[in-house]
Amino acid sequence: MINIKNLTKKFGKTVILDQLNLEIKKGERIALVGQNGAGKTTLIRVLLGHYLHDGDVSVFGLDPRNKRIEVLDRIGFVPQLPPPIQMTVEELTAFSAGTSQKSSRKKIQEYADNLGLDIIKNGKKTFQKLSGGMKQKLLIALALAREPDILIMDEPAANLDPQGRQAFLLYLMEKMKDTTMLLSSHRVDEVLSLITRIVELDFGRIVQDEQVEIGEAAGQMLDCQITFSSPNDATGRVMESWHFQPMNGNKLEYKGQFLGADKLRFMTELSHFANNIIKLSIN
Amino acid sequence: MKILFQVARADFRESVRAKWFFIYNLVFGGAIILLFALGITESRVLGFTGLSRLLITYIQLCVAILPILILISTVRSVVGDRESNVLEYFLSMPISLAAYFWGKVVSKFILVFVPIFFALILAIIWGAIKGLFIPWNIIGYYSLLLGTLSWCFLGIGMLISSVVKRQEWGLGLSILIWLILLLFIDAILIGLMMQHKIIESVIVGVALLNPMMAFRTGAVLLFDPELTAIGPASWVILDALGFKGFLAFTVTYPFLLGWFFAGLGYFRFKRGDLF
Repeated sequence: MINIKNLTKKFGKTVILDQLNLEIKKGERIALVGQNGAGKTTLIRVLLGHYLHDGDVSVFGLDPRNKRIEVLDRIGFVPQLPPPIQMTVEELTAFSAGTSQKSSRKKIQEYADNLGLDIIKNGKKTFQKLSGGMKQKLLIALALAREPDILIMDEPAANLDPQGRQAFLLYLMEKMKDTTMLLSSHRVDEVLSLITRIVELDFGRIVQDEQVEIGEAAGQMLDCQITFSSPNDATGRVMESWHFQPMNGNKLEYKGQFLGADKLRFMTELSHFANNIIKLSIN
Repeated sequence: MKILFQVARADFRESVRAKWFFIYNLVFGGAIILLFALGITESRVLGFTGLSRLLITYIQLCVAILPILILISTVRSVVGDRESNVLEYFLSMPISLAAYFWGKVVSKFILVFVPIFFALILAIIWGAIKGLFIPWNIIGYYSLLLGTLSWCFLGIGMLISSVVKRQEWGLGLSILIWLILLLFIDAILIGLMMQHKIIESVIVGVALLNPMMAFRTGAVLLFDPELTAIGPASWVILDALGFKGFLAFTVTYPFLLGWFFAGLGYFRFKRGDLF
């Protein structure tokens, strides 16, 4: 689906991508990881046809620069930082729907609803006035509504609250099994449950390329109960953010659900209160 | 084509909400109102009075400030989107580079031309209410002149916007180009001519190539067919092209120049890295 041979990209004399070779097959879900400046964003921009380069790059067997319409019509892209678009939500939705035969305002609305964003209610607001999470949800909805064969996301769930994140990951797990994904992230744990392969970049070269076993429970909702040794505002806030409910009217015991794909993230957040946890069960 | 108009519509809607557009409207709408309020229709210059007098003042005002206002407002188009990552996002959608670039050009042309054209309409309406004679031939020619002036400087603005990497550079370059064009109108070239430092044909050639000069002479040509109030380079050009030829030149040359610069901008935009 994506073939990269000897890809080199320089800015002036600075080499950003150095003789890079990578093959991505249909349905693979790849975490593209690496430090800042490793070349992740540059690689994504090459795949989107934004940069000229040395070496061969083909997406669906086509050159993404020369056949940009054909290639980009099959790619969904979600940037890390929402750009300062001055359009209203309504205008942006109409604009995006108008660029692809496969997208429509209705579809975008449905995807946004699933992520917890009401497009009709927020239609008159300018994109800039939305919160970070709402912007991210809208950009994800716009990308998914195009039913892309390849989904490219830069820090995909960075601005999402746990609820939006769960809905987003669940959707990706269930509905987009055949979609090839390229998820750029600083942290593997953010996307570990979702991916099948990790590609690590460093100084423009691939330093790690490994297959990952996907957990069976990744797409399921898990029941969880936690008991803390003493009530604490911080634990209360974390539990609330995951929509956990206090049991027996006190703030010592909580009950709730989270997505299997979010297990590592959930445990990481809880690890801050490890000394305060006296009982934890996950089923 | 559908996407091009979609880009144009989106850019137009965004720009209409911007402060610069409000100020731009205020300047040109306000200028007409101010000229009426100051009683300029009552005064006389070169034998002209009434609405013709007002129009000649308005067009002179436009020739002086419109180029720089157009440059400042359009120079951000590509480079601004590039800096803010808006360009990266929109060009990750299936939009051709041509649709994106020319969509912006169409939108910006409407944005810069329509307010000044409406200001002319406002003058006609006001003149009609006041019972003044309406010089349709002047209005027609001035509309054409303002249209080509807008197009020409829009082309220059889009070229600068495609070439520079930072908005500040774009703004600086715009002001520099505007100043250079102002310097090379024949009122200043006359100094060189009088000192006999540069041969006459070079001075005439420079004046002829300067679009600002074309507007300046075009603006007064209808009122002053001998160009007595303009510098020597204009006389030579007028002598060579004739009255009608010069009139045609003042609208055709900037129009072609606008296409040339916008085309060059598109070529530059298309052939390199997009960011």
